[in-house]
Amino acid sequence: MGDSYSNIWSYRLTWLYTLLVVFTLMLPVFYVIYISFNQNGFGARDYVFTLDWYGDIFSDLLLLNALGNTLILAAITTVVAVPMGLVAAKFYKTTRAKLFTVSLLLSPLFVPSDILGSALLVFFKNLNIACVSIGDWLGVGWFDDWFVLGYFSALIGLIIYTLPYIFVVILITMGRYHEQQSEAARSCGATAWQAFRQVEFPQIRAGVFSACAFTVILTFNEYTRTSLLKGGYDTVTSVLISQMLNEGMSEQSYAMSSLVSFIAIAVIGGTILYTLIRSEGLGREARAKALPVMSS
Amino acid sequence: MTRVGNRVDLSKRGGDTLRSPVPLPRLRLQRLLSRLLFLIPIVFMVLFFALPLALTVVWSVFERTMFWMEPGFTLFAYENFFFSARLNNFLSSMLHSSISVLVSFVFGFPIAVFVRRRVPQVARHRVILLFILPFMVSEIIRIFALRPVLQRTGLINNVLLEMGVITEPITAILYTPLGVIIGEVLSFLPFIVFAGFLAMEAVPKFVFEICDDLGAPRHRVFIDIILPLAAPGIFAGGVFIFVNGLGVALLPNILGGPGAVNAGLIATQAITALDFPLAMAISAIMMGTLLGLLYLGHRLFDLTRILTPIN
Repeated sequence: MGDSYSNIWSYRLTWLYTLLVVFTLMLPVFYVIYISFNQNGFGARDYVFTLDWYGDIFSDLLLLNALGNTLILAAITTVVAVPMGLVAAKFYKTTRAKLFTVSLLLSPLFVPSDILGSALLVFFKNLNIACVSIGDWLGVGWFDDWFVLGYFSALIGLIIYTLPYIFVVILITMGRYHEQQSEAARSCGATAWQAFRQVEFPQIRAGVFSACAFTVILTFNEYTRTSLLKGGYDTVTSVLISQMLNEGMSEQSYAMSSLVSFIAIAVIGGTILYTLIRSEGLGREARAKALPVMSS
Repeated sequence: MTRVGNRVDLSKRGGDTLRSPVPLPRLRLQRLLSRLLFLIPIVFMVLFFALPLALTVVWSVFERTMFWMEPGFTLFAYENFFFSARLNNFLSSMLHSSISVLVSFVFGFPIAVFVRRRVPQVARHRVILLFILPFMVSEIIRIFALRPVLQRTGLINNVLLEMGVITEPITAILYTPLGVIIGEVLSFLPFIVFAGFLAMEAVPKFVFEICDDLGAPRHRVFIDIILPLAAPGIFAGGVFIFVNGLGVALLPNILGGPGAVNAGLIATQAITALDFPLAMAISAIMMGTLLGLLYLGHRLFDLTRILTPIN
């Protein structure tokens, strides 16, 4: 474990430092949450606790509409991107072109959002023009609006954005799985699907579910790519940004930001807690099973 | 699928001794389909990620029209970029990004080393999860939330005034390059922890034990052992922060002053101004910078070493 236990205080200090860095990273968000409960808003001398600002959010039709759009996008992205990430991870395990695969799948992490967003925007506009002119030439129009900016283009941007994270999370959980188990299942007569569903999937389930949680949150929080590619409709982050830029930080934007942060922290915190409790439980179960054998 | 394939081949050679339960043509179709299924993510990424980014080079030399662009060859967009204030903005945002990389390394990398060396295996991933937490709050909220913290009447100034450290509020930390750097460090610091952690995972534990046994002083262990072994991870994390510092338009837009412009902001402003070739030229320049840096890093440190823990 540690290289030396001689100095417990340096160990504690380093822990303190690590937690302090995390706290600093989170400080602005905590401060926004703190302000959002203040009746008098930012900068006021006295602090009066209130939930009024949160009440205002839910009477805002624009925002509720945007929330609906965002949830639909998040749901479709998760349903499409997580299986894709799973397939990609399995492909990576078997393919010989490992370097190509991994660099293709991870490079979206390195491309800044505005750059990828602009490139995709122009790409879709060009595809759209191509589709319309081919349609005119052929005299059919049913594929004219395939690539018009809208849900579909935003969805593609979001899949590109989330796929690397899903890929890495699933690949890390797959690292603990031994391929021989699938082979054993196959030689016992299971089909490829059965071997995956009944032997492999239960062991990588935690990774797949955390990838789902990640995807929902990343999609929910994403602003730049979605705003460039979404076409006409609103998402939560675009409403938030336009409100912040137009009115400065109003009390309602504080409340909205805190609410969005609450949701994200609750989802990810819940997932982490669930996996921790579950792994503790599984460990206890395993120990309980192992005990009689050891004592006898 | 290969297993079934072997069995089929056997049955073909050995006559009726081993008969496949599924008719042969259907099996072939199944194999083909499953192979295609596994190629879907690759094809998707090539089509909607690699292709658009590669085509930015082509679109950047197109002629600009009133609302769109038309095929042609002109270097006007590049001229527009290199012979204007944009180049200066780009270079100064490069400088700010480099400072952010340095600051993130100084504050973030020791954590990766600490986690690898002194935190027990079971708890390691939990520490890393801690650093995912800020990352789960939307980027726009994290960046916007810095305004009430840093501004003239904000948290930091209030606290410092109360404590009597300063007599009048510091105004140099928001709407200045310093504000952008603070924003970049707070947004991207976790990445150097992740990349450093991944790189450190690839270093076998006994290396540290040998150092301890031989009585190497701490700074020598850090400079001669940890830095060279973790170099690919540090480099990857550094490139990530550098490129995002250049490319994320929100940071200078919200935290920077009037002069703070980076490549991402120039690109989005060009799109708003319907100057698509200019936006594409900037994308192409950014991609060139990124690929150049990654190539350099690969030649220097062999970046594939970071991936050892995944394999």
